[in-house]
Amino acid sequence: MMRKCLSLFLLAFLALGATAFAEDTKVGFVYVSPVGDAGYSYAHDQGRLAVEAMDGVTTSFVESVAEGQDSERVIMNMARKGYDIIFTTSYGYMDPTLKVAKEFPKVKFLHCSGYKNAENMANYFGRIYQARYLTGMVAGAMTKSKVLGYVAAFPIPEVIRGINAFTLGAQSVNPDVQVRVVWTKTWYDPATEKEAAKSLLDVGCDVIAQHQDSPGPQEAAQERGAWSIGYNSDMSAFAPKSHLTSAVWNWGPFYTDMVKQIKDGTWKAQFYWYGLDHGIVDIAPFGPMVPADVQKTVLAKKAEIASGAYKVFTGPIKDQAGAEKVAAGAVMPDEELLGFNWFVQGVVGTLE
Amino acid sequence: MPVLSAVRRQEPLGWGSCLVFLAALALAFTVSGTLLAVQGKPALQALWLLVESAFGSRYALEDCLIKAVPIFLCSLGVGLTFRLQVWNIGAEGQFALGAVGATWAALTFPGWPWYALLPFMLLCASATGGLWGAIPALLRLKLRANEIIVTLMLNYVGILILDFLVYGVWKDPASFGFPMTSEFVPAAVVARIGDTRLNWGLLLCLAVGVLMSVFLRSTRLGFELRACGENVRAARYARMPYAFLVVLVMVVSGALAGWAGFLEASATLGRLQPSIMSGYGYTAIVVAWLANLNPLVIAVASFLLAGVRVGMETLQLDLQVPAAFGGIMEGSILLAVLAGGFFSRYRLHLRRAA
Amino acid sequence: MSLEILLALLAATVQAGTPILYATLGEILTEKGGVLNLGVEGMMLVGALAGFLTALHTGSPALAFMAGGLAGAGMAALHGVVCIWFQGNQTVSGLALTIFGTGLAGFFGTPYVGRTAPGFDKFSLPVLGDIPLVGDIFFQQDALVYVSYLIPPLMWAFFRYTRWGLGVRAAGESPAATRAAGLNVLGFRWAALLCGGVLVGFGGSYLSLAYTHLWTNGLSSGRGWIAVALVIFAFWRPSRAMLGAYLFGGVMAFQLRLQAMGTALPSSILLMLPYVLTIAALAFSSWRSQRTEAPAALGVNVEPSE
Repeated sequence: MMRKCLSLFLLAFLALGATAFAEDTKVGFVYVSPVGDAGYSYAHDQGRLAVEAMDGVTTSFVESVAEGQDSERVIMNMARKGYDIIFTTSYGYMDPTLKVAKEFPKVKFLHCSGYKNAENMANYFGRIYQARYLTGMVAGAMTKSKVLGYVAAFPIPEVIRGINAFTLGAQSVNPDVQVRVVWTKTWYDPATEKEAAKSLLDVGCDVIAQHQDSPGPQEAAQERGAWSIGYNSDMSAFAPKSHLTSAVWNWGPFYTDMVKQIKDGTWKAQFYWYGLDHGIVDIAPFGPMVPADVQKTVLAKKAEIASGAYKVFTGPIKDQAGAEKVAAGAVMPDEELLGFNWFVQGVVGTLE
Repeated sequence: MPVLSAVRRQEPLGWGSCLVFLAALALAFTVSGTLLAVQGKPALQALWLLVESAFGSRYALEDCLIKAVPIFLCSLGVGLTFRLQVWNIGAEGQFALGAVGATWAALTFPGWPWYALLPFMLLCASATGGLWGAIPALLRLKLRANEIIVTLMLNYVGILILDFLVYGVWKDPASFGFPMTSEFVPAAVVARIGDTRLNWGLLLCLAVGVLMSVFLRSTRLGFELRACGENVRAARYARMPYAFLVVLVMVVSGALAGWAGFLEASATLGRLQPSIMSGYGYTAIVVAWLANLNPLVIAVASFLLAGVRVGMETLQLDLQVPAAFGGIMEGSILLAVLAGGFFSRYRLHLRRAA
Repeated sequence: MSLEILLALLAATVQAGTPILYATLGEILTEKGGVLNLGVEGMMLVGALAGFLTALHTGSPALAFMAGGLAGAGMAALHGVVCIWFQGNQTVSGLALTIFGTGLAGFFGTPYVGRTAPGFDKFSLPVLGDIPLVGDIFFQQDALVYVSYLIPPLMWAFFRYTRWGLGVRAAGESPAATRAAGLNVLGFRWAALLCGGVLVGFGGSYLSLAYTHLWTNGLSSGRGWIAVALVIFAFWRPSRAMLGAYLFGGVMAFQLRLQAMGTALPSSILLMLPYVLTIAALAFSSWRSQRTEAPAALGVNVEPSE
């Protein structure tokens, strides 16, 4: 009788163990804004869908999670509910992710755009500035007034880096261009962002680029007959007559790669900062108004950057005051790029 | 033809008030559930999930307590002002300024021991939060400016001041340019209680709650505040002029909200950053009105509304309900309770028309 | 600043001030009737969403604009039920309406963030649009702006010359006397509340149909509250409401242009301008004469009669 019970018990245990192995890997995503915004979170969610398509993996997400206390609880909730991998996609989630990572050593965390990590927590970001450089080239080639407008969100390094790369790209084809910056202090406020774009158009800009997630600036550019450059995803649907190209994210391949590595056990918690070389960032298809020779030049540069032959922040680079910050031929190291807090020459705007 | 008419009650409704309140809650839940169903979410399951995930485990209860602390402090202050028909909508801004004051203290005197630094941070938070409450009070008294608007505008200004500081002079040099102050030294952080996730701010709440109860029951001013009805301006309270009282309650209210800000910055985040703002000041309005200046009821209501916030996150995760649903619940609860108040004050008569 | 830029700024001022103008006029109407409705911010959001959804599904901006107004009236009706029927405290009910309306709009609107809908575009009025300077500023806007020009004079005439206008004002000044004169006080209050709600809804839908062709949670960013303040600034007069609304639109448009032109002022400080200005304007106008201008029975519920 005892032996029967024992064997039954063992069988059940093995069966349970087997199902545990066969169980799907649960991957959770935390977003800072609504998914449908055709912007930042939308791009991350497209990546999540790629992961969802993988075998043996299920995903879920929580959107519009405020940074700070709320995010800590959301991430903690996910960890407690047995999620194996958690992606937290906004820099404000950094401390909360770290806190939860310390309490759940078996769960793997990946935090976007921060700088703290742990044994089971990695950071990742994408070199979107490379795409920005390319869009800058397009803008520089298309502008007639030689003044470009940039609707910027918050004065944090990634935005400043993007503005600088955009400027350098424009200057590479059109040395006299000026880039004017307006801060909206919003990530998604179409009314304010559209008004900001209009104010740039009023002072003579004829190309509008943006760092926010709403298509407001695109609308403003189209209404005035100016050109526009989008961000996060292809924004041509919102302004087909003015949209030149966009700097876009392509998280799918990176996310699926990370999940695969974790499942295989080859994953390391480090700082991942891939760019055009891994296809994480890209530019959207050119609008019909971009001439063929411009397209050729830009695509050639894209290939150069992707292969590593050309680095965007190669000197000589001067700051707004004219002082040389990067010597001729030198390349800005990653640490400096991550903490970027000055504008290159040619940018008109404050840093606060 | 029978006609429905309403007559004012001579005596207040006793236990019936409780029933009316519960009926109002039920109505609010029904409305919220219906809206969920309209969006294609399983209403009953969602509402049950809300309650269960908010109060159904030790972790969840801890979360509710942690969240209830700032709501409680803000509500106490706001409730005090409401009693005097002073409509303080500015708890958000006062919260922000309190956090700013406490952060100044923490960043300027990192070498002090905790028993000197923490009380000093509390003092600074009171000063800045109280100031933010005093401004609308003075404008109301001297210039008859409507405090609803002024406090609300100061909310926006207060948050922008916080932004200005963390993007500018207080930005942590080690934070790679992200807007946050350096981490507070351990002496500036309110410690956790044992190995729970609760912090000693809970003790502060208890102390404040007890003090407020004592004040309301044992002092003349407190008694008059509790007993006063809608017609406030005519009376003089405890021989203090109404004008002085307005400033007093606004400063106290601002200070209390400031303490909530101090606790969030110190205990919860350990630094100051823009994401400290969570809308506690607005939830406090709902709690203050529901609880009618009874500290115990404010505590319970704070806990319940904190539970709504905590439960909302599970609703998002499991059922993909948009975060805005929390606002629907809070708003409908308040509207229903307001409407329900009618039955406490009036009796319905069915009688034939003359 | 060149003339070009100045004209562009003034034109932008008119456009930015229009949603605030609609909302302020709506609140003036409501308050003249004696009802204080602080739910304007929530109502604008609901109006904006209703307009946006209608435009998305029907493709008709005009229909969408009407829908926005109706949604505003619906929210106002809720306030009326709580305050006029159930004698709820008007101040708190308005605040609850804001919380509820914001939540309602966000709840139904979240799936629509990132979509675009057909809306109103600018066009120049014949003859009027060609007038130098004035034409550039006022007559090269979209249709809803032109409609908003008509409302203040109509409202002024309504209050001054019609019996209904008189009835509304009487309901707001002294309900008891009005009732004694045999007029239906509650009826006038309801009418003022609902019609005011329509205008507020129009203001909201302007944001999602004309100012932008987009929707997001929090689209109104505090404009509803500025409108409530402007009612006091305008001394409850429609003509002054225009002045106030354009002043605010101007500040919002100006601080962005200041950045675009190149300034050393930090943007946080510039962003504070509209709110600080609201406080200043409110303080100034309250100091001047709030007592005599406000409807005497504003915010006071009318007891149910026997």
